[in-house]
Amino acid sequence: MKIDDHLLSLLIEFFDLPPDTRPGDITQQSLAAWDSLAMVQLITELEATFSVEFGIEEIQRLRSYHEIRDALCKKGFSSHVPPISRT
Amino acid sequence: MSGDFDNERGLNSLNLVRQWIRGFPDVQKAAIMEAVESASLAKTRRALRLLQELGPEQRGPVLDVEILSTYNLEPLLPVLELAVNCLPSQARLWLAPLDSIEAHIAQPARWPSQALSGARIIIWRIEEVLPEALYPLSHGFPERLAARVDQLLQRIERVVGLHRRNSPGVPLFLSTMPIPVNLANPVSAAQHCAGPFASVSRVNQKIYEVAARDDGVHVLDLASWAAFEGSVHADAMVDFLARQPLSAKGQVGFALFIARCLRPLIIPRRKVLALDLDNTLWGGVVGEDGVNGLKLGHEFPGNIHLRIQRELLELKHRGVLLVILSKNNEADAREAFESLPDMILKWEDFAVRKIDWNHKHENLRAAARELGLGIDSFAFLDDSDYEREQMRQLMPEVLILNERPDPLQTLRALWETDAFDSLAVTEEDRRRHRDYTLRTARDVEGHQNDLEAFLKSLEMEATIEEVGPSNMERVVTMLGKTNQFNLTTRRHSHVQVQTMLASPGSVALALRLRDKFGDQGIIAVLLAVRAGDAATLVIDSFLVSCRALGRGAEDALWAELLSRACRQSVHSLEAEYIPTAKNGIVAGLYDRLGLQRVEHDSSSTRYVLEPIVPVEFPSWIHFGQSN
Repeated sequence: MKIDDHLLSLLIEFFDLPPDTRPGDITQQSLAAWDSLAMVQLITELEATFSVEFGIEEIQRLRSYHEIRDALCKKGFSSHVPPISRT
Repeated sequence: MSGDFDNERGLNSLNLVRQWIRGFPDVQKAAIMEAVESASLAKTRRALRLLQELGPEQRGPVLDVEILSTYNLEPLLPVLELAVNCLPSQARLWLAPLDSIEAHIAQPARWPSQALSGARIIIWRIEEVLPEALYPLSHGFPERLAARVDQLLQRIERVVGLHRRNSPGVPLFLSTMPIPVNLANPVSAAQHCAGPFASVSRVNQKIYEVAARDDGVHVLDLASWAAFEGSVHADAMVDFLARQPLSAKGQVGFALFIARCLRPLIIPRRKVLALDLDNTLWGGVVGEDGVNGLKLGHEFPGNIHLRIQRELLELKHRGVLLVILSKNNEADAREAFESLPDMILKWEDFAVRKIDWNHKHENLRAAARELGLGIDSFAFLDDSDYEREQMRQLMPEVLILNERPDPLQTLRALWETDAFDSLAVTEEDRRRHRDYTLRTARDVEGHQNDLEAFLKSLEMEATIEEVGPSNMERVVTMLGKTNQFNLTTRRHSHVQVQTMLASPGSVALALRLRDKFGDQGIIAVLLAVRAGDAATLVIDSFLVSCRALGRGAEDALWAELLSRACRQSVHSLEAEYIPTAKNGIVAGLYDRLGLQRVEHDSSSTRYVLEPIVPVEFPSWIHFGQSN
């Protein structure tokens, strides 16, 4: 299951973004609506949509489209974009 | 997806939502179902946006709900809002700051207009209000823990007292407290009467008791909800992260449960259950299998039909009228009632019996006429796909309870339906079956005499009471439910009636009627307030229960109003008839009572009476002591 498009459309709908928003533009820093309340709601949304549970470490790193995609890939979802490297 | 509802309770919730929103346009219906099935917040917001596009008449009454909680419900607000909107209602939700129950409740309930129907909900859980119960041995178990429980019980009383003082008339829902999902060593926790589980039980018992003794306090039984849902509703991670304890799936179930508990405030329950006999009350077909071939008893599958009968008898005692609609020879059906040893329901438990070969929808219409109730008061249960489909197509106002012919499905339909939900079983509910049975007997008797002689023969005695605390519940219920004999159909809340009572010179009367068949309770209400010039009385509401139509109760109340108006130096009366689909019966009432029409258009007819001259009380009603 390719999650890139699915995740992108989920985040666009969730944050009510323009449909042509690029994945790289979806970060907690760049979106005012991505506050702590939205973070809690987003975790529940991701867990419900992808049938996953995030650990404490993971939750602290769900700060952008790419980081979420990366976390999902580690849970067995496949992507047509290589995961971002993490130090 | 884990958010999907894949268990039976989840499916039940979805079925209820489908019923609630059946009047919405297809686009909104699809969006709502997608939102609740997926438990997706984004889809929930989309459904809410689509609902905003509907007109107020499509969305239902305004319902203001104020929520006070000890845990964080802010992330759930859209889900809660959607659920309450589905009732349907124009829901407006207010969430008080966390942990501010007493501080907040010490103020009057605050929403834009006190005049609207609304409710206040307190949601609390043991983790916040009695955290010691989770670690009893670290907190002086058993004595100190028991003392802390005592303090919490006092707190519950205090909170209810504060609410009553500061927001009188606003319904208060108190949640019970679920057993904590995350609790070590549940075996030990159950072993002592002062242990964690027993402590939670004591707290919940207190909440049930407080609600039982106070008409305006209701229980939001989250403890039973959580027990039904299982631990799947909980999400420990999000609880630690944001003090929000519910999983996505749990959020939807939680919100729908709260909506269901609020629903009786604005949607009247179904008053009648019309049902089939064969393969419903018993297994088999009496006309073909004979009484000896029917299945009813303690063996499978007769035990399912036995349980169906127990459910139906309980409904009858809760004020739901039972009606038989059966294609049978009446003698065969009667023989089954008299001969089957395990029959729980008796022939007399049914307010109307239509056992013949007519179409069931025609018989249902006839039963509605006999009972003086609207078709939309009826729910229907039948094992035949054909009969259900015919009823669905020809009588769309009738609620079809079951979807399949299987008797276990019939029983499930009775377990799961919300059609008969109510927040209290009143004395009127308990008496309803007898009252309607007597009403049909009276109707038969009435045909044999001229009307006045018949009315005199009923030995009616009326008592006219001021509307006040002792009858407020019944008066507000009547305002909310009376459709036919209701001049203005204004659905006033407790708050609105109390505001009216408090206005100088207002007149608020309730008529209680007894006759030779028994006490009928309060069956007529009249509310009037002074106009700006104080010499004019404006009738706000005038209604008579459909159980007491045609008995002159309105004439008695009218005579009392005029008598009081004269005593209080009122010079003129203003009145209004607002037509609805159901109140054609009173279109000419004010003309008959001698008022002058002053304005008339399609939405209302306005009347004036000046000067005011007292009129005779009806001769067939004897007046008891009024208070």
